[in-house]
Amino acid sequence: MPKPKAFVEDIETYAQDIVDTVREPLLMLDTTLRVRSANRAFYQTFKVSPVETENRLIYELGNGQWDIPALRTLLDDVVPKSLVFNDFELEHTFPVIGRRVMLLNARKLRAGSHAELLVLAMEDVTERRRSEADLKAIDMYAQNIVDTLREPLLTLDTTLRVHSANRAFYQTFKVSPQETENRLVYELGNGQWDIPDLRTLLEDIVPKSSVFSDFELEHDFPAIGRRVMLLNARKLQAGHHGELLVLAMEDVTERRRVEEAVAKAKEAAETANKTKSLFLANMSHELRTPLNAILGYSEMLQEEAAERSLDVFAADLARISSAGKHLLALINDILDLSKIEAGKMDLFLENFDVGRMIDEIASNVQPMVEKNSNTLQITHAHDLGEMHADQIKVRQAVSNLLTNAVKFTHEGHVTLDVWREEADGREWIVFQVSDTGIGLSAEQVIKLFKDFTQADASTTRKFGGTGLGLALTRRFCQMMGGDVTVKSVPDEGSIFSIKLPATVSDPTPEPGPGATGALAAVETEHVDCTDPIPDGASCVLVIDDDAAQREFLARFLSKDGFYVRTASGGEAGLRLARLLRPLVITLDVMMPEMDGWTVLSALTADEDLRDIPVIMLTMVDDPSRGFSLGAADYATKPVNRKRLTQILKKYTDKSSSVLIVEDDPTTRNVTRSILEKEGWKVTEAVNGALALESLQRERPALVLLDLMMPEMDGFALADLLHLHPEWQSIPLVVVTDKDLTIGERRRLSGYVQTVLHKGSSREASLARVRDFVVACSDRAKRNGRTN
Amino acid sequence: MTRILLVEDNEMNRDMLSRRLERKGYEVILAVDGPNGVDVARAGLPDLILMDMSLPLLDGWEATRVLKAGQETRRIPVIALTAHAMSGDRDKALEAGCDDYDTKPVDLPRLLAKIEVLLGATTHIGDSK
Repeated sequence: MPKPKAFVEDIETYAQDIVDTVREPLLMLDTTLRVRSANRAFYQTFKVSPVETENRLIYELGNGQWDIPALRTLLDDVVPKSLVFNDFELEHTFPVIGRRVMLLNARKLRAGSHAELLVLAMEDVTERRRSEADLKAIDMYAQNIVDTLREPLLTLDTTLRVHSANRAFYQTFKVSPQETENRLVYELGNGQWDIPDLRTLLEDIVPKSSVFSDFELEHDFPAIGRRVMLLNARKLQAGHHGELLVLAMEDVTERRRVEEAVAKAKEAAETANKTKSLFLANMSHELRTPLNAILGYSEMLQEEAAERSLDVFAADLARISSAGKHLLALINDILDLSKIEAGKMDLFLENFDVGRMIDEIASNVQPMVEKNSNTLQITHAHDLGEMHADQIKVRQAVSNLLTNAVKFTHEGHVTLDVWREEADGREWIVFQVSDTGIGLSAEQVIKLFKDFTQADASTTRKFGGTGLGLALTRRFCQMMGGDVTVKSVPDEGSIFSIKLPATVSDPTPEPGPGATGALAAVETEHVDCTDPIPDGASCVLVIDDDAAQREFLARFLSKDGFYVRTASGGEAGLRLARLLRPLVITLDVMMPEMDGWTVLSALTADEDLRDIPVIMLTMVDDPSRGFSLGAADYATKPVNRKRLTQILKKYTDKSSSVLIVEDDPTTRNVTRSILEKEGWKVTEAVNGALALESLQRERPALVLLDLMMPEMDGFALADLLHLHPEWQSIPLVVVTDKDLTIGERRRLSGYVQTVLHKGSSREASLARVRDFVVACSDRAKRNGRTN
Repeated sequence: MTRILLVEDNEMNRDMLSRRLERKGYEVILAVDGPNGVDVARAGLPDLILMDMSLPLLDGWEATRVLKAGQETRRIPVIALTAHAMSGDRDKALEAGCDDYDTKPVDLPRLLAKIEVLLGATTHIGDSK
């Protein structure tokens, strides 16, 4: 060993360097517990110098700050017995650095020439312990919150095993933590959570999103019965627990039950209200009849009393009469209001002169103006012009404001100003009534437009009136797309304004209650059901895909007293036909979904509908050319007796003759014998040309026409028939070998078009439609058929 | 004496209106439904007809249309009476050929005024012929 000393020193220096680099304080003690050395970290941490440290007894270090009972126990008792000890925790308040938690680790070393050494490493874990305590507190805090929640909560890991649950969960589902934690959610409580919807949710929805809300789950839970649960979930990154899913469950069973009950109650209330309105509407009508008699006879008696100078009676009779009139006004208002509520109030829109209407209203109200010693001033521009609205309702609304103003004003001044203005891109007419009357408080204004409310109950006694007038006024105005507003100061007067569109647009008809069934059945196609059809009235069903044509035909036919219903397509048409059993159906040949011929086949196939006469119509490109009648009906060969008599019954009666145009003698004879057996007069023609000759001799009530004939075929004859003014209204029943082919249908439709291009004016063709409908209706009336 | 035909199916209304008209000096003949109204009008050829619109069998509009199509009855003025104060009813009545229109319950002075206007007009036309 040439240089042992230097070698040893080298190693010692090397060891000291390492020791100094360690950031944990280190002490080397000899067996007497005196400090052999310390590292830099020790000096720095405890703010002492090597001079104060080395060769001192550990307990004396830093003025005895290390003289700690726990350390004495450790060093005096534990250390001598073992070579090593780990993680001895020492909590102590050190003078310089304060209260610390130190983790002590020790090793006994043989250090060459030195005797046995004890290396004491100190780890300051104060911060770590504090963090751990904080974390524990947070954990507790969270668990307390979770346990306080009344909603059951489950925390699941990514494999859908329960990480934890809250107290509410255990209580609600009557399970214990042991049965719950670390189990697969589907296994909980004997599989009561194995619900297909929940599987979908957890396996399909949850993986795709970190949050989901209000997933509704209805399930029969063994412990608690059938429940509706609202599930809400959040994915959490829960530190070393990894990803967790918090599943919160809200039991909304009761809430759902209440909501359902509320919805049902609301529906019941609405039905009841509608029933009430209908009842009122009917009842009001019944009430009016006897009331009219009371009014009439009391007026007659008044007249008679006046003639005979029976003044004693006159005053009493006047009271009867005036009470009766008041009652009638009430009933009329109730009738209007209940009509509105039942959705049966229609608008009759027309053009009328506003100025003239105002003059009439003013002259009506004049007697009342004078009675209360008021003055009435009316101002409006001379060029007010016309408005397009429901005149009766506008008149009633304006009259109502004016009557009120005059009624509630004494020895005062009432003005009516009317003007035209532009707002929101359209023209409006404003009627403004100002008075110097009793005025209204803010509370009274709020109540003002409510049904059956006057400013206060005593008003009725003092001023009379129904309390419905303003409610009706407002409803009328709103129906027409306007409104009525009021500004008022008590004891100074009021200003009421009605603002209406100068051109009121037709509202979408609100279906009446009776029509809901039909409407529900044909949602996709438009049907029109407004006012109810009275018993015994004639109803015509118009089936046409073109809204303008529907509207036009409906208006035209209703002028003749027919109640018209319309359908925009074949489906809707057939349903309405079944529902309404119309007297006559007009059917457009060309419709996009189901053409007229298909509809006709369906009508013919339906036992209930086959007796209804059908008028086939078509419209040409130029609408001013109007409609034409196509073939009225068709039958297939071999001619079936039942079908034939059905058709004939529809279109004619036995007093007139039927012309059979048919080239095949067998068919001709069979048809003839069927008809004659049924009591019809029959004439025959074997081809088109002979049919024309026969037509010139006698006009038949109906023509049965074979389409396929030599010389002049059915189409050509149909053409001719429809060109001849006297013949064009003869119903034409086409007889074919088979169901009409698409080509034949097209040809028949096409022929109708050809006729039209050559044909008559709109008026003339319309007149033919009307004649036909009237004829069908008359026949039905004679046959005693009502719909 | 001026003869008025009242077509009205309600017995009390018929009784009231006829008596009040008679008291005003008119001769009143009666009919109770549409066909009856047409028959009585043809047979009695009144100077004016008061026609209720909601009549059984044949309603007032239809009956008016029939009368206005008849050679002899065409010239007789018809006042439509209707219970419904709907403008649609008024249009329907005028469309059917009625010369005027009034609502029920009848306001007698107003109705009398209308009657006088129509009678005056026909008399005037008659005079000028």
